[in-house]
Amino acid sequence: MRSRVVVTGLGVVSPIGIGVSDFWKAALAGQSGISAITSFDPFPIDGYRSKVAGQVRDFAVERFVNSVHGERVDRYAQFALVAAKEALADSGLRMEKENPHRVGVIVGAGMGGMVMGEREITQLYQQQKPHRVHPNFIPVITLNSASGILAMAYGAKGPNLTISTACSSSAHALGQALHCIREGRADVVITVGADASITPLVFAGFCALRALSSKFNDDPEKASRPFDRLRDGFVMGEGAGTLILESAAHAKKRKARVYAEIAGYAATSEAYHMVIPREDGLEVAHTMKLALADAGVPPAQVDYINAHATSTSIGDAVEARAIRRLFRSRADKITISATKSLIGHTLGAAGAIGGIASVLALHTGQVHPTANYDDPDPACALAGLSRSVQERPVKVALLNAFGFGSNNAAVVFKQVKRER
Amino acid sequence: MAADPTISLKIRTALAEYLKCDPATILTTQHLRDDLGLDSMAVIELLYRIEEAFDLQIPDQDLVGLTTVGHVVSYVEKRVGKTASPASTKKPLKPSKPKGKKKS
Repeated sequence: MRSRVVVTGLGVVSPIGIGVSDFWKAALAGQSGISAITSFDPFPIDGYRSKVAGQVRDFAVERFVNSVHGERVDRYAQFALVAAKEALADSGLRMEKENPHRVGVIVGAGMGGMVMGEREITQLYQQQKPHRVHPNFIPVITLNSASGILAMAYGAKGPNLTISTACSSSAHALGQALHCIREGRADVVITVGADASITPLVFAGFCALRALSSKFNDDPEKASRPFDRLRDGFVMGEGAGTLILESAAHAKKRKARVYAEIAGYAATSEAYHMVIPREDGLEVAHTMKLALADAGVPPAQVDYINAHATSTSIGDAVEARAIRRLFRSRADKITISATKSLIGHTLGAAGAIGGIASVLALHTGQVHPTANYDDPDPACALAGLSRSVQERPVKVALLNAFGFGSNNAAVVFKQVKRER
Repeated sequence: MAADPTISLKIRTALAEYLKCDPATILTTQHLRDDLGLDSMAVIELLYRIEEAFDLQIPDQDLVGLTTVGHVVSYVEKRVGKTASPASTKKPLKPSKPKGKKKS
């Protein structure tokens, strides 16, 4: 029999709060973390079509992690270190009591160490001094720098992997961690999503794709508006989320507090287009269906969806269509929220942070609002969306995440009966 | 302009910044790995900083002999004395040292 897998610890670094308590309080209040971009300074923002983002404010890694590890990695991996430290403490896991070879790390990251990456590339091209490239450049931009530093910081010697599938990266990290524990290759997996690439080049790249919102530069908090008629593109965000995944038996043995069960996962490709989803939503519906089948949960039991919902015109419409396709008449009975309406699109971190919102919905019976859902777009209106917090018991939550490269992921979380 | 710190002090300061300690506690006799705990990557980072501070390029073949603080100091003194000046000043360091210094 395959092991059941549960979530026992949470940690987050987000534009609306560092730490789960602040994040969740702000999320339930519908607080927006979107503001005018300041992180480029002194690089001028004037030439950019979009000028807003969900930035993590006042972050200094040494305030949170007292170690040499934080200084040796880029901002995204610093976020990962901080979110993982919180999640480990929250889980009550004591690494000195664990077999380190049974504790793994799986990180989802879309862009990686672009802060240093851009700086070094710029300097090299401007100065043409190859000997002045920083010796840490390669270790920092190598995409597994976060999963590597996490293992070093917390002594986890089990499977150590990085998954990079753009915006679905950390939903796959959750799924792969689930498989890893199910298959008995680890007792615990520190599962992380992290990205921090609100940098002049990456941001210009997303602008060039015409993927970002540009109508709300003067009113940044209105810019991220999934499913709303006035949406005009996504808002870039940054952050990290960590979920401690653990076999149910291991969690029981150490009497851990359990937030939820992670019960199912599916990974598919649309094999269609690098950045455009199939309009009919067929593959997205198929992905959700597979994840539910993996969890052994019929679609009729889903009562909450943490939608991918980036606030792009086509993406939200396709997701809504897929939800209608799969859930049919029940589609309007499912509570839905879009975490990106509050924090923007944190790319590789999005699945993990959406996962945290899903787990907290199961654990607390509260679903955070979808900000700026002011005028439902008939092309994607769903009755379960709301600008207000929704309080109702959630027993089964579905997390969607889709990435460039025709990539889809879905993860199913279930409520766990409290054992006394 | 303030007086140039000596090459030795500059190097010990760079090391102290890296190790987060008082430059006065770093001695030229100390071994970079065995006494100061620098791993090979940390030594490379240190030399990167020194290259910048003294506007030098240290070729790979010279790395082998640089195992103590003293080795690094005398290497830089030799290189700076021969060719370039420290990036922070336009004057060569050696002539700026006090003239007629007494040996104790």
